[in-house]
Amino acid sequence: MAGKTAIIASNGSLFDAYKVYNIATAAAASDHEVAIFFTFEGLNLINKEAYGQLALPAGKEAMAEGLKNSNVPAVTELVEMAQELGVKFIGCQMTMDVFGLKKEAFVDGIEVGGAVTFLEFAKDADVTLTF
Amino acid sequence: MNADKILDAKGLACPMPIVKTRKEMKELESGQVLQILATDKGAKADLTAWAKSGGHELLDSQEEGDVLKFWIQKG
Repeated sequence: MAGKTAIIASNGSLFDAYKVYNIATAAAASDHEVAIFFTFEGLNLINKEAYGQLALPAGKEAMAEGLKNSNVPAVTELVEMAQELGVKFIGCQMTMDVFGLKKEAFVDGIEVGGAVTFLEFAKDADVTLTF
Repeated sequence: MNADKILDAKGLACPMPIVKTRKEMKELESGQVLQILATDKGAKADLTAWAKSGGHELLDSQEEGDVLKFWIQKG
């Protein structure tokens, strides 16, 4: 492995999905070991019901066309790619409990853990990011 | 310049050119050359950095109109 990248995803709009998954897939494609910790609204990004239809941030609805024209991949496609590249998804247990969501509500292959699970991964990471 | 394989990543936005390049590169043997065609302007800096971090060599890059061409030799 060329490096290690640890990402916290704590927001749930369409823009947040691109921020998180673009960096995650680019890091994984550069042979980094990558883990994303999804917490609070960040859980939207792996929620089966939500991740294919994430909303634009409030006031940015006009950018829908720009996104379409710039030919960026769909979020579902990015998730699939990230998992293919070995990116580890960790759902925050505490937030899942707060939202009343079980592991089955999320895309397959996620781990569920707490803050320490993420910290254990992130403690010797070369790159640590929060979105 | 000769290439062992050509990857057409035209029309694809970041991070797809990198993700696809990695995939193609995995199929090649050390010393073989992959040619990449892209229209994403960011690919120029990204592929340069990607090749460097992965121990590959960016042999050449050219621009033809909107199309960027890269030749990367697998390390």
